[in-house]
This record gives sequence, structure tokens and C-alpha cells, in this order.
Amino acid sequence: MKKWFALAVLILVTSTMFAACAPSPAPSPTAAPVAAPTQAAAPTEVAAPTQAPAPTEAVAPTQAPPAKRVLRVTFSWPNRIDPAVGNDYASSTSLANLYDTLVFPNAQGTVDPWLAESWDVSHDGLTWTFHLRKDVKFHDGSPLKASDVVFSFNRLKEIGEGYAYLVTPDVESVTALDDHTVQFKLNKATALFLPSLVRLYVASEAIVKANTKAEGPYGANGDYGKEWLQTHDAGSGPYMVKEFPLEQYLLMTKFTDWWGTFHPNAPDEVRFIGTTEAVTVRTLMENKELEISDQWQSFEAYQALQKIEGVKIAALPSLSSFYYMVNNKKPPLDDVHCRKAISYAFDYDAAVALEWPGTKQMVGPVPATLAGHNPNVHVYKRDLDAAKAELAQCKYAADIANYPIEVHWVAEVPDEEKWALLFQSNLADIGMKVEVVKVPWLSMVENTSKLETSPSIATIYVSSDLPEAGLMLKQRYHSSTTGTWQQVEWLQDPDLDAAIEDALATIDEQERFAKYAKIQEDLVERAVSVWIYDQVEKHAYRDCVDWPAARGETSVVMGYQIFAAGIGVTCP
Amino acid sequence: MSLGRFLVRRIVHSIFVLLGLSIVIFVIARVMPGDPARMALGARAPQWVVDRVREQMHLNEPLTVQYVYWLRGALRADFGLSLVTQRPVTADIQEFFPASLELVLLAGLFSAVGGIGLGVLSARYKDTWIDNVVRVISYAGIVTPSFIFAILFVLLFGFVLKWFPVIGRLSEHTVAPPTVTGMVTVDALLAGRLDAFADALRHMVLPALALAMGSIAQEARITRSSMADNLGKDYIAAARALGISERVVMGRFLLKPSLIPTVSILGLDIAATLGVAFLVELIFNWPGLARYGMTSMLHKDLNAISAVILVLGVAFVTVNILVDIIVAYLDPRIRLRAARSE
Repeated sequence: MKKWFALAVLILVTSTMFAACAPSPAPSPTAAPVAAPTQAAAPTEVAAPTQAPAPTEAVAPTQAPPAKRVLRVTFSWPNRIDPAVGNDYASSTSLANLYDTLVFPNAQGTVDPWLAESWDVSHDGLTWTFHLRKDVKFHDGSPLKASDVVFSFNRLKEIGEGYAYLVTPDVESVTALDDHTVQFKLNKATALFLPSLVRLYVASEAIVKANTKAEGPYGANGDYGKEWLQTHDAGSGPYMVKEFPLEQYLLMTKFTDWWGTFHPNAPDEVRFIGTTEAVTVRTLMENKELEISDQWQSFEAYQALQKIEGVKIAALPSLSSFYYMVNNKKPPLDDVHCRKAISYAFDYDAAVALEWPGTKQMVGPVPATLAGHNPNVHVYKRDLDAAKAELAQCKYAADIANYPIEVHWVAEVPDEEKWALLFQSNLADIGMKVEVVKVPWLSMVENTSKLETSPSIATIYVSSDLPEAGLMLKQRYHSSTTGTWQQVEWLQDPDLDAAIEDALATIDEQERFAKYAKIQEDLVERAVSVWIYDQVEKHAYRDCVDWPAARGETSVVMGYQIFAAGIGVTCP
Repeated sequence: MSLGRFLVRRIVHSIFVLLGLSIVIFVIARVMPGDPARMALGARAPQWVVDRVREQMHLNEPLTVQYVYWLRGALRADFGLSLVTQRPVTADIQEFFPASLELVLLAGLFSAVGGIGLGVLSARYKDTWIDNVVRVISYAGIVTPSFIFAILFVLLFGFVLKWFPVIGRLSEHTVAPPTVTGMVTVDALLAGRLDAFADALRHMVLPALALAMGSIAQEARITRSSMADNLGKDYIAAARALGISERVVMGRFLLKPSLIPTVSILGLDIAATLGVAFLVELIFNWPGLARYGMTSMLHKDLNAISAVILVLGVAFVTVNILVDIIVAYLDPRIRLRAARSE
């Protein structure tokens, strides 16, 4: 008996060793080569539909085409691919590839026609009528109809998660006028309505209903297909779910009946891998098992990745900025002169130098990538004389040493400590005392929910959901966001709220942007925050990838940088 | 006491242990900062949606009522929905637990073979350079966390030598075998897919070895120490005086009784590895239970946290019982004592 046991152990160990030493098996030779990527009917109809990819920009392959073009990208997990649930980076990118939307964001910060070939808007801005393409098929081959748009909207509204907060609040009703015409009626005119439609992912009503569980929290709609849609799709986008082992990867395959135009070298398969571990990402890149890295690597990790042969670093503009959120209700920073003193004391150039090349200091309260950003506002620079002069006017100047400023930085983002320590050192130059505190994100969220527990300053990255300055102004400075981590300033200023709401309700673009500009000037004058830098989104990528986003040719709206139909892959 | 009675007693004890554990973890999970519903839905979700989720999860009820709801579900193996994956927690555990178990069992095998092998070697050549080398290796293994080994292995065997894959359970080109047990190696064997079995094994070697390193070091020291103690005993001297070969003395008379402490510690190590493997699972993108548990904690996914801890508790208790049985087999005195007490 013992001998048999010993023999079994020996066989197991030996097989392990053999398996360990065996070279990696070659890819299956049966994989059919894709000579010419399938092109769906090119958009030829009215309103010059936007082409997501730039097909003419394809890099001529220098080597024989691979058997199967694969695009592999690492992401921070989890990835929620239900169009009424997901709204983070991985989810938004997945949704952009799996589902189509009525309009598509472009590099200019506006939107182009997509599922909707054209649209009409009433004079009062309250009724929007969209005319849909007639050649769109879902992944099961069924045609897309206006009723699917209505269903998708209603589902998003009833579930209330994901991007519902962005798409649904101002919409009173959605109606299918016929199979290819859908009408939205709004409660109030808003400039955010049209751009917000890039977050209304259209799902097939029939597919969702066929996979809905009768029991669930949504009454007659059961679970609204939520469980099924966590690992499957019901979209019409250029890619469809092939496998989704949660916690590991999302594997998507090309939908050859997609109505749009693929890049000539668009990937046949797209694999989003759920890891951001530096050593793993570096090894995958070195072994040519990864085409594009995530954006969460450290400065040092990007430097190491850059040294790998054939790997480049793309620094993409983003809708995100790094803020020092100054609590305007807490002494000594409730005095505008003290706030201006710290704004002049901080060394912005040194702060920016700590980031990746190409990073720029913020100009005003919103990222420079947003439509309606005011580039002419006053920009605070380190000026110790000005800082001391402002401090002298502050009512707390006499005993400023008794008012230490607590700077809370997010423990999960270790790099933030560098800026906090720089801030501490800079303020010491004008005699202000800074206490640097490392705070876990959960505690940061908890602390900033109440005025009494909010720190003097919280250092937080904030991203705008849409490329519109008004939305960021609302997210950051409107009273509706006090008590959340998005606004530690606690401004609670009714005049400012009214100004933001008025600007957002202005449909005329020029007029609206002028109103945004004035609000930005006002906030800068009051020095309500310390605006550090506009974040660039860094990715390592292989030079065999033709990536329009790396050339600044795509929208900066989250999720659209890695729109695989527009990416060419010629990697061996 | 018969083995049957012994087992019944241990199982009854274990139920109380698990009940206590469930209460502790239930309370701890709920006093962590942050509203789980708000965290799951994000800062911008409307309050009515947050309220709905709170109601679904009974978060507005007193803690005791919440516990009763939870316990009632747990007894039916229904742990509710995960806020992170939006699936039933039971389905998540069914998917993630086999992945961890498979990895931990291989790590256990590495620990047993490596640890006992090195320990025997060390005892056999006690106080020689071999013993000293094993000692140094053991100390290094004990003090180095498993994730450091994981990083080193990825760099050495993945990045430099390129011998092993560094992520996932199967290569991109390998078609997964039909799921029966959830353990890919076992499923591959059941399907007669030796290619998938070998591929899955290759993917497991580095993470399992990283998990096993600390345990190998510890088992080596314990085995060596135990064997060294027994080496000076009379029955060994008698065996040698009778002219029994050194191989038989070492293998039959010395090793078996010396393995008792090793087996006890090995069992605990294997069970503990299930829970502490999250960093290794993260580095190797392994979809295991520890990683799921850690993600749940970071997102304050209450149902998932409680279920994971409970599953780990059950695993720990089960392994302990198994260890007791193995120790009884290895040590005849324990069996005799049990028989006499009947």
C-alpha cells in the first residue's frame, strides 16, 4: 500500500517537473488566418456619420500578418459589463466595445452621429428626436429598433445604477415614434443631455428579456437580466463577449456584422486582463503577451516598461485633475487671504516635475481638456512675497502657528505623499504649519461626508464624466455635492449654484461657455482650492499597435481611448 | 474513545467555533467605515437607489435582526448577493473556491515533499555543511513573505528565463475542459485532456511554489528537529545494534514518529494558505477565494466577506480534524490511549 502511495506521489511530482520544463505549446495551428478583416457596410447615409476608427491611418505591417490579431490590455478590476451597472474605467471601456450608443464622442469634445444618423431639437430644447440607422444588428442577428432604445433607457432609469445619474435625471419620457425614430422629452433644457447619450448603451430588449430571472427587485421585470448581463452582452457593438471568467479576464471577439468600419488591422479578439501588478505587467510586456498596459503603473514602472524593446509610453490627455480640496469653512482657510497665501506658497513647477513628462499645471478649476474651459484665468505660481503679503492680511496671521493645516492624502495612492510633503515644506517657508496624514480611502469618504470631520485639505483626483466644463463645475463646487468626497470645499454658495445651473441650462454654446468662464474666474479669485495639475493617462504600448488615442485622435471621454475597432494590431 | 465518537465530538465543537466566528466577522464587517451600499453604487448614484439596496440587504434593521437574516440564509447556503460581482455569493464561492483549493493542494504537496525531504536531509547530515545550508535556506524561507517569492519567481522564471506563464489558469490557446469540479487539472483529467492538464499544471507551479516556500522552510526545521530528538533515543540505538540498515532505521523507525509535529503544522499551514494567498493570487491573476475575499473587503461587500470567512473557517476546522486522524495513524500510542479509555 505504502509503495503504491509512494509511486503515486513520485508520478505526480515527476509529471509536475515534466510539465514545468516543457516549452509553452505553440498556438493551435487550426486558427483560421484572417486575411481581410470583415468590413460592415460603410456608413454612406446622411449627416456624415462619424467613423470611429481612422481606417486610412493604418500602419503598414512590416511582417507577415499573424494568424489571429489579438489586443490584450490590463485593467484594474472588477469589470461590470451590464450597461445599467458599470461606470468605472474597465467597465466603460468594455461597454464602449460591446454596445453602440446614439452618438459617439469625438476628439473635439463634442459628439458625432452614431446609431442616430441625425436628430432634431425643438426651439425650447425640450424635445429631441433621433433618426436611427436601419442597418444595425444585435449580436444575435436581430435588427436594432427604436423600442430597444426606449427599453435600454427605462432599464437604466429603473435600476438607477451605472450612468443613470448622468443620463436619466432630466428626461421626462422616451417614446418610439416608429421602428427607427425615438423621441426624448426633457423636464428642462440642459446642455448635458446630448453628450450624456454617449453613456446610454443600447441593449436588445429581446435578448435581455429572454435572460431575465422572474424573481428580483424590479417588480414585473424580475432581475431585469442583471445576473446574466454580468457575464454576457446584449449589444450591437463591434465586439461581443466570448468568455468572461470573473476576476480573470474578459475575452471579446469581433462582430463581423457590425455596421461600422473596422480598422484594416483591427483585432479579431480583445482580451481585457484583470491585473495591474507591476511585475506581472512588465513580464507580460517583455514576453509580448500584452499590447497595452493599464494606466495605474507607478512612475518607476513606466520607466522600466519604456526600456523594453518595442515598447512606448503614451501620455493621453484626460478629463481628470489633481486637486487640493481646501475646506473653506475651517480656520484658517475660511479666510480668503490665507487661502491665497497657500496658493502662492506652493511650488507648482516642482509638483509637476514629479509627474510624467507632458503633465501640465492646472489652469483654473477644471481640466483644460473640457469644452468651456477658460484658459485666461489667473494662474497661481510660487511667489513667496505675494504669499507673505496675503498671509499678513489674513485674520489669523497673528497666531497662525496655532492653526495647523491637516492635509489628508489617500493611502491607496502612495505617490500622493510626495506632493503632501512638498506642500508641507513650501508652507513652512511662510510660517504655516502642515500636518500630513495618510488616510485610507474608506476613511476619506467617511470623513468628508460631514463638515466637522472634513480635514483642512484633502488631496484627491477628480474626473469629469463628460468633456464639458459645466459638469465638472457642478461636480466640484455645486452644493449638491457637499458631503461627498467630490467637494471638500463646503462652499454651499446659493449664488454659485444658481450660476452653474443657469449656465448648464443654456443651449447656445457660446453663451454657455461665456457663463462657464465667468464662474471659473470667480472661483480662482476666491482661491477656493489649490489646483495642482491636469492628469495625463499613461499607458505602455507596443509599437506594433496603431493606436489613434496615442496620437490624440480620439475622444478623452473615459472608455473610448481603447475602442478596439479603431485600433490596428500587427504584432507578430 | 472510538474514532467515531472522537469525530462527533470534534464536529460539535466545530459548530460552536464556526457560530462564534460568524458572529465576530459579522460584527467586524459592519463596523468598518463606509456605507456598503453607497460604496458599491458610487458617489454619484441617487440616494433612492442606495436606499433600495440598503433595504434589500436589511441594513436598516438592528444588527441582531440582520444577523438572524444572514444566519437563516447561511443555513440554506444562501449568502445573498455580492455587491461587487452582482451575483449570488454562493455562485462566486463555487467558482473561486476550487481555484484556490487546487492551488493550495499543490502548494501542500510541495510543502510536504520539500519540507520533509529537506528535514530528513538535514537530520541525516546533522551538524555538517548540508545541515547548515538547509538551516540558512529555511530561515530565509520562514522570514520572507510569500508575495516576495511570487515577485521573485515571476521575474526569474517568467521575465528572465521565460519558463513559466505568469497569469491565469490556462494559456490563451488552450481550450478549457468542461467544468465538473472547478479544478482545471482534475477536470482536464476527467475529460482525458492531458494537454490541458499539463498546461494547467504549468500555470500552477509558480504560484503554488510561492505559497509553499514558507511552509517548506518551516516543515524542514520541524522535521529536522523532531528527527534529531528521536535519533538519540534507545530504540534507534537498539535498531542500529541489531544491524538494521541505516536506510531502514531512518525511513521506518525514525521518520514516521518524527512526522507527527510536521503533519500537525503542515495541516494548519495548508488551511491558512487558503486565506492568506491573496497577494500571490493577485500577482498571478489567479481567480481564487483569497483574492475574492480581499476585493470584497476593499469594497465592503458584507455578504461576500462573511461567506468567505465562514468557508475559510470550515476549511480550517476540516483540516484540523483530518490532521488529528493522520496523527492518530502515525502515532500508535494515541490509538492505544484511545482504546484503553474505551
